[in-house]
Amino acid sequence: MHKLINKLAARLPLDFRILYHQFLLRVVDLESLSIQADIVGYLGQFSGVLIMLSLLHAMVTYIGYLTFSAPADRLAFCWHMEHYLISTTMLVVGLITVISWDAAFPDRRDVMVLSPLPIAPRTILFAKITAAAAVLGLAIVTLNAASGIVLPLLLGTQPGPALDFIQSFAAYWFTILAASAFLYGSILTIQGFTALVLPRRIFLRLSAILQLAAFGLFLGVYFAQPLLTDPVSLADPRNRWILASSPSYWFFALFNQLNGSWPAQFSWLASRAWIALGLTVTGAASSLLLCYIHTMKKTVEEPDLVPGAGGLHCMPPFGNSLQTAVALFSIRSLTRSRQHRVAFAFYLAFVFALALSLLRGELATPAPAPVSMDLLISAFLMMFFAVAGLRNVFALPISLTANWVLRTTQLRPSEDYIAATRRTLLLLAVAPIWLLSFALSFRFKPIPQVAIHLAVLALLGGILAELCLIGFYKVPFTCSYLPGKANIQLVFWGFVIVMIAFVVPAAQFELTALAVPLKAAFMLSALGALFWALWIFNRHRAKSAVLYFEEIPDPLITTLGLSV
Amino acid sequence: MLELRHVSKRFSGIPAVDDVSFSARPGEVTGYLGPNGSGKSTTMKMITGLIERSAGHIVFQGKPIEENLIAYKRRMGYVPEEPYLYTHLSGLEYLTMVAQLRDLPARQSGTRIDGMLRLFSLHDDRHASISGYSKGMRQKVLLIAALMHNPQLILLDEPFSGLDVGSSLVLRSLIRELAARGKVVLFSSHELDTVERICSRVVILHHGKLVADDSIERLRSLMELPTLEQIFSQLAVEQDTESTARQIADLIDA
Repeated sequence: MHKLINKLAARLPLDFRILYHQFLLRVVDLESLSIQADIVGYLGQFSGVLIMLSLLHAMVTYIGYLTFSAPADRLAFCWHMEHYLISTTMLVVGLITVISWDAAFPDRRDVMVLSPLPIAPRTILFAKITAAAAVLGLAIVTLNAASGIVLPLLLGTQPGPALDFIQSFAAYWFTILAASAFLYGSILTIQGFTALVLPRRIFLRLSAILQLAAFGLFLGVYFAQPLLTDPVSLADPRNRWILASSPSYWFFALFNQLNGSWPAQFSWLASRAWIALGLTVTGAASSLLLCYIHTMKKTVEEPDLVPGAGGLHCMPPFGNSLQTAVALFSIRSLTRSRQHRVAFAFYLAFVFALALSLLRGELATPAPAPVSMDLLISAFLMMFFAVAGLRNVFALPISLTANWVLRTTQLRPSEDYIAATRRTLLLLAVAPIWLLSFALSFRFKPIPQVAIHLAVLALLGGILAELCLIGFYKVPFTCSYLPGKANIQLVFWGFVIVMIAFVVPAAQFELTALAVPLKAAFMLSALGALFWALWIFNRHRAKSAVLYFEEIPDPLITTLGLSV
Repeated sequence: MLELRHVSKRFSGIPAVDDVSFSARPGEVTGYLGPNGSGKSTTMKMITGLIERSAGHIVFQGKPIEENLIAYKRRMGYVPEEPYLYTHLSGLEYLTMVAQLRDLPARQSGTRIDGMLRLFSLHDDRHASISGYSKGMRQKVLLIAALMHNPQLILLDEPFSGLDVGSSLVLRSLIRELAARGKVVLFSSHELDTVERICSRVVILHHGKLVADDSIERLRSLMELPTLEQIFSQLAVEQDTESTARQIADLIDA
């Protein structure tokens, strides 16, 4: 198979193959993590996570199906799973589209490097699209590898006309590909036409905002949209606007239409899917073509020097001069570097989407709601994601070659730099989440319990920040990053297990403690003591720490220490 | 005075700088010359403390620099060979950050940065992102960052790189002026004409070894050559330049 692919690939023009390889490296901005970044390794890790998810989906689908005996119940369950799988695929495609934002369009670097070479713009266009499609295709196939067989198999066993496996299988995969094409095409259309209409400088600024908005939108819709897959909910006129505005329901309808199991009165939903697909594919193709004709010229004509507003220069001090320098450097890196912004937005978007989905019920009620498990879990998750997320983003370097300035101006002991990093972490992660929780807390009662919860949250933020700083003797965004250091599969599943094992029991404990003053006092004291101990521990270690700007790889040979 | 005593640097056993000793005195501009790969920038990085020496000592004002590295860094200003900067910052933001890292009083550093931005004709573009700066503009930012704290030791590695004619003339005069005010200036460049005009002494490096350390006048009379270019060619250029140029042209034609 591998030989066949290589043979077929060898028939493609050489310039296309070289460009495709280069663009593949840049699809997910991996080369900015490390010069030695192993694209195959990273994609392999992502695929592993998605395959595991697919197996999990398949297992849940199969077991869930067997728990029902009546055909109507089984069909209702299959409909529920169909919608879940379609919307999950759309979410994953959406997130990849956001991470690979602008990857389909030529940037200034492409134009300046490739324009003088004898390469046709269409070759660049096809290489870019192929590279993006390769990553998206891999994600779609791996995410549906198991569930895309099990669900059609179960649907194929249903009684009734035209419900055989082959039809279900073809309908499923066509729908998944169509939903993905719709989402990707929508983003390309919006990007392409804004690039055509707006001056390039304004487009670049707007593009950054659109990217974050799309991120929030995809996650928000995924977690917040209600489940309306049963015939009663579908027929309810109050739900019509939700169905009409939610693309995942359009493609859910399309799947069932193709499968021959869709009631005729809801065919308008499937029609929306066909229309949306046609519009976005046409829009994406035309905007891409026009961009490669017009925008490449615009990019060359773009002035090198763009006058800035200097707004952030008037920021207040964040402590002493070093703490201010580190905090401002971090804020500017986060707001101006696309890679860092997206990485942090990933954590934040996840946080807010989760919080939103958990607190949906409480926020919908007009009167203050009692302090609930949902509030506590959402607060813990928000704090955990924000602190751990920012700590992880801190580890991504922004410009290693420019670090010489920090090294030649290191006029203070390392502990001062570590203190500045701590302050930045508290300022950019703990404080915003605490303030958000504070604002949300006005919707909850009784006030003493809410106040204790806010104190718990502040201490938890401090503890998490101290835990993140253990061994982190770096200035944010300045240390090299070793390729392959982040084992995505391990991190992902480790996180899931820790969340289930820690957050839920911790929230249960806090909920009971809030009702008993003595227990609450004990909880606050224990958290305060833990925070203080960690703070002392980190301060003590920082005194002998050496600031580092290069990650040192583990030795290739690890001795067992058996020799005398 | 800055003194290098038997300084060596090896990378994986291969010597980049081999037993180099020389001194740079206050009030003088010391030119540090050598062909590409001769070890000039490596020496500069060792003097700044960016890389560690394999052997030897570097002494500033009678004390080994590692004795109090922080105090030494306070008195040193450095312009590196390549204008590597945090390009997501504006020129003003970068310079303010350097001032904060150096713990300079905000008002004093603000006045100095503003004044130097005006004198280097960067003031109008101070809020623009460095990513849009030309090489010359980046070089000016480096110069301001290196000088804003009034250092005693000034290390300039190719400081004229990318500068326009007007700015180059200003920098020439500035280097002479700083030396005249008692600073120790060590200046590395490939522009021999400039070196000849502003340096009192030159140190020439070849394959990591010191091949000359004297005043330009004495080198001229000793080697009986009229220009620094000819002295340099004799000491440090191995190629027959005319022949190499011809071979390149032949290769393109073939």
